[in-house]
Amino acid sequence: MNTTFLKWFGLFLLCFVLQTTMVPLIDIFGVHPDLPMVALFFLGYRTGPMPALWAGFFLGLAGDLYSPSILGQNALSKTMAGFFAGIFNVRMMRVDMIVQMVLLLLTFFVNDAVYLAVQLIKSGGSGGIVWHCLILTLPRALYSMLFALIPYFKNHFFGSSTPRL
Amino acid sequence: MRTVIELLIRYRLFASMCAACIVSLWMVSSPPYLQARTARLLTISIFYPVQITVDQVTRAKNIYAENEQLTIDIAILNAQVAQLKEQEAENVRLRDMLGFDQSTPLPLVPAQVVARDPSPIFKSVIISVGTNKGILPFMPVVTRQGVVGKVVQVMPDLSLVQLIRDPLNHVSIMARRSRTISILETENGIEFFTHLRVHEDVLPGDTVITTGLGGIYPRGFPVGIIGKVSFERDPLFKRATIKLNLDIEHLEELFVIKRPPQWAAFTKHLDSLKQKP
Repeated sequence: MNTTFLKWFGLFLLCFVLQTTMVPLIDIFGVHPDLPMVALFFLGYRTGPMPALWAGFFLGLAGDLYSPSILGQNALSKTMAGFFAGIFNVRMMRVDMIVQMVLLLLTFFVNDAVYLAVQLIKSGGSGGIVWHCLILTLPRALYSMLFALIPYFKNHFFGSSTPRL
Repeated sequence: MRTVIELLIRYRLFASMCAACIVSLWMVSSPPYLQARTARLLTISIFYPVQITVDQVTRAKNIYAENEQLTIDIAILNAQVAQLKEQEAENVRLRDMLGFDQSTPLPLVPAQVVARDPSPIFKSVIISVGTNKGILPFMPVVTRQGVVGKVVQVMPDLSLVQLIRDPLNHVSIMARRSRTISILETENGIEFFTHLRVHEDVLPGDTVITTGLGGIYPRGFPVGIIGKVSFERDPLFKRATIKLNLDIEHLEELFVIKRPPQWAAFTKHLDSLKQKP
């Protein structure tokens, strides 16, 4: 249990550090991957909604503290995203890689939808959340998907058939 | 209360979800000043321990580097202090030698010991002057404390000195008070003694000096003092131990008395006689 916790904690820490240091260097037209979100999705997929929602909460809180805009905005959105990813966990159903990628995409949409909703409510403005999701979320989710595929390719060429992190 | 706890345990997932959402929404809906305060509080409580740890590690790293630098500095300073002490001691010795040089009418050539016989009780040393400074075999070597030995081999810039601790090197000596003449002897290079006739007036504590009779060592140079006087099996002689003034083990600077042996002219005369048909 402790080993698992440390493994995931280390993964999140690594993703957080990479997100703040290396990821800005590999953006394409301003779009860059969201590695902590990918890690959160895999956590939810493998362990279930309970760990994923708390991991999402604290991950979001760390993001809020790191780049303060509206405190709690990231925490709420990532809690929702973690919960969503955890619902479709491996204990409930086994899905293939493509479906997992679709779930990852949906997780990004959930996260960004909640985030933008809070943004709009706090700023008092009115805007199309769907339009924003298409413009902002879809490219980001697709770019992140490339990184999410790394474990699958790694396991396909070097390891077992079941993708593991 | 118990029912509430049971409900929370049963629906823990939704309870957790609700708790996380409520906390998040509370933070979102709170006024900016409260958000700032909460953010500061969380930053302090979460990041400050990490920052402290990182700071301590950085400080420890700096202390380690500083410690290494200080160790190097201490080593350098110790070396400098040792060098200065050595120079100070050398200065004292040279001042001492200078005083000796000015008080002695004999022509003195200062020299330094550059090597010595590798045996534990070394019987010879090599000094830093040779024929280039006019040094010849059988010239006496002395210090302010007394007689050291004589030159036995010379090279352009080096000379081999046979010390008085060599059992083969005999020095003619006498007690300054009673003018009793004898030969300085040693068997092991550590204990020095002399054989005297039984009626000679020699007492412990008498100063022993060179007689000048050997033709090599000038008259009147200090050698040591009489130690214990004892009688031997032979009723005609007694034995007196001599404690040398010279610290042979710590010879560093010394003088060669630039004076050929008194019998050198006689030897030349004999050589010239041999060459005649």
